[in-house]
Amino acid sequence: MKILSMLWKNLIRGPRTLLFPARPPVTERFRGLVQFDPSLCTGCAVCRFRCTSRAIEFKAGKGEFTWSYNPGQCTFCGRCVEGCAEHALKDGHLEHALSQAEDTPPIYLVQGELKKSYTVARRPPAARPAATAPAQPAATSKPSPTTSGGAQ
Amino acid sequence: MNLITALARLLIFPGLLFAVPAAWFFLWVERKTVALMQGRVGPPFMQPFFDFVKLTAKSTPPRSGIAGALMRSWPLIALASAAGAVGLLPVLPSSGGFEGDLILLLALLEMPSMCIIAAGFSSRSIFGEIGSAREAALSVSYNIVFLLAIVSIAASQHTFRLEALAALPASPLRLLGIVAIIVCLPAKLHINPFSLPNAEQEIYAGPMTEYAGPELAMWELSHGLEWVAATGLVATLLAPHFGAWWLAALVFVALSFAIVLLLSAVAAATARLAIDTSVRFYWQCTLIFAVLAISSALFMRYRL
Amino acid sequence: MKLWRQLVCLARRRSPWLFHMNAGSCNGCDIELVAALSPRYDAEQLGVRLEGSPRHADIICITGPVTKNAVGAIHTVYGQVCGPKAVVAIGSCPATTNVFIDSRTIDGPLEKHIPVDVFVPGCPPRPDAIIQGVAKAAAILAERGLNPPKATVAIAATVAEEQP
Repeated sequence: MKILSMLWKNLIRGPRTLLFPARPPVTERFRGLVQFDPSLCTGCAVCRFRCTSRAIEFKAGKGEFTWSYNPGQCTFCGRCVEGCAEHALKDGHLEHALSQAEDTPPIYLVQGELKKSYTVARRPPAARPAATAPAQPAATSKPSPTTSGGAQ
Repeated sequence: MNLITALARLLIFPGLLFAVPAAWFFLWVERKTVALMQGRVGPPFMQPFFDFVKLTAKSTPPRSGIAGALMRSWPLIALASAAGAVGLLPVLPSSGGFEGDLILLLALLEMPSMCIIAAGFSSRSIFGEIGSAREAALSVSYNIVFLLAIVSIAASQHTFRLEALAALPASPLRLLGIVAIIVCLPAKLHINPFSLPNAEQEIYAGPMTEYAGPELAMWELSHGLEWVAATGLVATLLAPHFGAWWLAALVFVALSFAIVLLLSAVAAATARLAIDTSVRFYWQCTLIFAVLAISSALFMRYRL
Repeated sequence: MKLWRQLVCLARRRSPWLFHMNAGSCNGCDIELVAALSPRYDAEQLGVRLEGSPRHADIICITGPVTKNAVGAIHTVYGQVCGPKAVVAIGSCPATTNVFIDSRTIDGPLEKHIPVDVFVPGCPPRPDAIIQGVAKAAAILAERGLNPPKATVAIAATVAEEQP
């Protein structure tokens, strides 16, 4: 008879449904679309190496590189974001180019519609912040702007 | 009952003009009640009407030969018999009837199940055959109780006229018979706990697997009309006799609505029973009801 | 009549019946699809019904990268769906084969075999995204009734298109 009291309570309390266009909020750890910030990217292509589903493509050119991301191919594992963060930390930067949005990817009608490409010009690496200076061995020289092709 | 009265009963009230919107309304009530009891919002009000319109506008797969012609005719027969059953209900007082129309009503109420069984077999699909076999087993079981209960109500009053039955005063035997009929209704209408022929997870769509488009629309509509006819039968047996026709009609609709709510609550509260449990339920538990009813009817008849 | 055609298009948008097919999926998207019918997301508020037979459905929801075993089944089921139909590819697997790219047992994205109308990305997509995708597919079906396409998607001329 517990089922009858359960049904009665459901009737009295009312439905707990989200009415159609409303969507539930996502939690903080939700892994959504990968966001790219061209001003912070150094072109190391660790993200392309770590990507599990080849959603990230990297083409190195002369003085610039093209980074593209296809959300339709992505499996939202977050390895690229982790790799970018670790690599930036190893280099002494606190900021890194890739981050993960806390939002669900949108539906689309044509294949490949959501693919985004960025062409970023290579620039000399940013000056190391003074606070982390003591860790710099003299052997590390500044990489020259035109070399250090990223294709691995 | 002359031709004009018969046509009015078949086409206007409680015939097609009333019964088709009532069928859609009852189908919506059932889905909405089950949804509210499960804690969700159900379909919007016009949903069965939109389903019907959408289905009539779909294409059907090509059907050839005698089997194809048979397949196309079963939904028509089911729809016609369900509509006829609704038209025979003695809702309004002094609307005429004929001797033995109770037998005709029972036969017409049985036809949609027969058509479902035949349709499953004639569709030559294995899911259809399994669904039809289950429907046949269930039909044999609940029909015994159903028919015994109705016949006991009729036999105790020496009459097979629906009008006379509807006008009778209440008595314990009548209530017993009505309770037995209500217990058979979930199996007749294919809702939980006896929704086995529609078991989606097991046999795809059962007997209806090969049907599409307008044929499926007719099956759905005949299902809705079955709801109206079955609940209407119980409502006419339950309702006290009124002189005014509008009062009788109002009470009929209200009682049918109450029975639909009751059946939906039962459907929301139970799970689907397997075929052996369903058959055992009707043969072991409810058969007692029906045997009691008919034996007391015969007893009363020979004592009076 | 124009009124009947408009009514039919309204009915197609308000009553999308689904058939769910798994073309080699890991079942993550299947679980989210069934979760879309649970009380919190309740696809039935849009009139969605999960049907047991492809002949009853308008919208086919396909999950999974298309394995070689599933290709024949997909063609059969797509042929069995009647009338105006729409295909929703749920998850990133049917759209682009996701992590299974270049695998020897996978036979291409779904678009290689049947025309797809709506892609719902995610791995797995959330149930509310799936419901959004189904609503969009229902709207596409309604539009398709108003302006029948020239492509081979409409297998047989529907009754609505024959009506003046």
